[in-house]
Amino acid sequence: MPHADHYDAIVIGGGFFGCSLALHLRRTRDARVVVLERESEPMQRASYINQARVHNGYHYPRSILTGIRSRVNFPRFVEDMTDCICDDFDAYYAVPRRFSNVTATQFRLFCERIEAPIGPAPKSIKRLFSPDLVEDVFRVTEFTFDSAKLKERMLRELSGAAVELRFETEGIAVRQSEAGGLTVETQSSEGDGLLAADQVFNCTYARTNRLLHRSDLPLVPLKHELTEIALVEVPDELANLAVTVMCGPFFGVLPFPARGLHSLYHVRYTLHGVWHDSDPERYRDPYEILASAGRESRYKRMIKDASRYLPCMSECEYMDSMWEVRTVLPISENDDSRPILYLENCGLEGLTCILGAKIDNIYDMIDFERQLH
Amino acid sequence: MKTTVDCFVSVVAPLRNDADIIPSFLDELMACLQENYVDYEVVLVDDSSEDDTVEKVREQIAAHRDVRLLRLSRSFGVETAITAGLDSVIGDYIVVMLPDSDPPEFIAQMVEQARQGAGIVIALREGQRSEGFLFRLFAGGFYWYINRFLKLGIPRESVDFRVLSRKSVNALIQIRDHLRYIRSFSSFVGYGTETFWYKPISRRGKPTTRGFLEAINLGVSIVVANSSHPLRLMSVFALGVSGMAVLYAIWYSALPLFSATAPTEWMTMLAWITVPVFVLFVIAAALCEYIGRILIEIQDRPLYFVAEEWSYGSTVVDDSRKNIARRSIDD
Repeated sequence: MPHADHYDAIVIGGGFFGCSLALHLRRTRDARVVVLERESEPMQRASYINQARVHNGYHYPRSILTGIRSRVNFPRFVEDMTDCICDDFDAYYAVPRRFSNVTATQFRLFCERIEAPIGPAPKSIKRLFSPDLVEDVFRVTEFTFDSAKLKERMLRELSGAAVELRFETEGIAVRQSEAGGLTVETQSSEGDGLLAADQVFNCTYARTNRLLHRSDLPLVPLKHELTEIALVEVPDELANLAVTVMCGPFFGVLPFPARGLHSLYHVRYTLHGVWHDSDPERYRDPYEILASAGRESRYKRMIKDASRYLPCMSECEYMDSMWEVRTVLPISENDDSRPILYLENCGLEGLTCILGAKIDNIYDMIDFERQLH
Repeated sequence: MKTTVDCFVSVVAPLRNDADIIPSFLDELMACLQENYVDYEVVLVDDSSEDDTVEKVREQIAAHRDVRLLRLSRSFGVETAITAGLDSVIGDYIVVMLPDSDPPEFIAQMVEQARQGAGIVIALREGQRSEGFLFRLFAGGFYWYINRFLKLGIPRESVDFRVLSRKSVNALIQIRDHLRYIRSFSSFVGYGTETFWYKPISRRGKPTTRGFLEAINLGVSIVVANSSHPLRLMSVFALGVSGMAVLYAIWYSALPLFSATAPTEWMTMLAWITVPVFVLFVIAAALCEYIGRILIEIQDRPLYFVAEEWSYGSTVVDDSRKNIARRSIDD
């Protein structure tokens, strides 16, 4: 049995939420913290593979709370992460005439209600859209972040704050130790290990239940989606634009700074499958499902439908696809809300499960953690 | 190796109480599409079925990732359901077909013909119709009139089964008339039309036919929605009759100059009243039709509402979903 190192807190999962939490604990409580990450770098999975959108509320006409929280967090995130923010493009939201859950008027009113800046799009932009299918186009203030820069920044801050990082190390299971406190079983290329801590934070996002499952703890009901985001080179007209078509089976095309391309998602075609964690007997590791999935890209369909609304999209060139598991809470299925799941003493005293939904929501989590202590 | 064609084919099929034929229709359709195309989609539009059509389709969607279901908020009619499908399809070539009567095996030939030709291929029905003599007589007169005078270009044998190019669908969905009749729309948008003869099948074993009154109704609506020709006809008719009346009046006034035996008073009165009144009523009836049509179009209501869209992405990979305890977490 290897010797168990003792920490104040162990954070399992080196994504944006895990790293931020570790920093927070280190800075505010001078805690001895270690972050366990299975990849060789932090923030390689869902923190990297997403639309990289810094939300400013526009996206949530069906969940006003999520909209308002995004509004509150947006300036803070943009100010804190200035060097990782990409704002050298214009953002537009378009509302289609048919199949949309909001009308153009409703969308404008919603934005005014949450005080999100909104104005009419100039004629030169409106001309890019099909007038038969699109009711109106609005100019908005929304940015994207560069996930590569965000990672570099996080690494700098973590080492500055002397947070211990263990890469290529997986936290496999958490157990109650006899002496009180918790032990985490780890697995790495160097073999298995044991770490002890007063507190353990499960920040493994899609794999939240895998840790619980391996620890023989009850699962949290979660919904997983197998998603594909296409990376495309857009025609010149769209080079400095971010376009989001709301709200229904539509698409969005946004600059993806980390690759110098645009990311293209389509509500209908990005989703390749859905499953739920509920029955422990039938639990499957989401990463295994992702690895064994067929990965038959649906980029053609995304482009075909997008070019009906935005005809110049037919000229965009497909480069690559990013595949990832997106995990959402069953409670937000019907209203698009994206709350953070924060479960204290989740099956074990001292084990906290945190599941973030959007990177810019980090402050809600940090503030909540601060409130609890 | 399969030789598949590199074009995106969409199939639109309206459904209404079709639970009994949906599995066989989809099996056949998917086999045809898989054999011939790399990229395809099927958009089924449920026009508010009362049986378990929707459940049957959902089962099929779990197996076929390229099938989508649009469920309309209530029944809007077959033609409106087709419009909802056309509004949503993304393909380069779009096939419109009715599950009961149109065999999927002809899709490949028709699409190929559309690709080689001008872009629209309409199917024409072979074989004798089952309707009675009077029905066929009226139908003959109707098609002669709409094609000869209104130039609608709708062959008598034409059905909804057709292939449309992306260009023609883009044009067609701009027509937001409330009387949806895809046969006149696809002729209206132009782009050249070719025909394809086929023999309809009947999955249910009994062909669905329109009733006589229903057909008359539809016929009148089609004429009124597509042309002001009957109004013009009425104007000419009215002018003719009133002209004759004037001539008659002149002749009658002049009669005593030539003849001693003038017609009796009551006969002249009858002629004076009945003929123009008849003409007036005919004109009034025609005007009513047009005013009704104007009312419907001027309201400019949406043609349909979609209750929900189902596609492969929204189906659950496993069936354990019902076990979920929805505990309220968060916030």
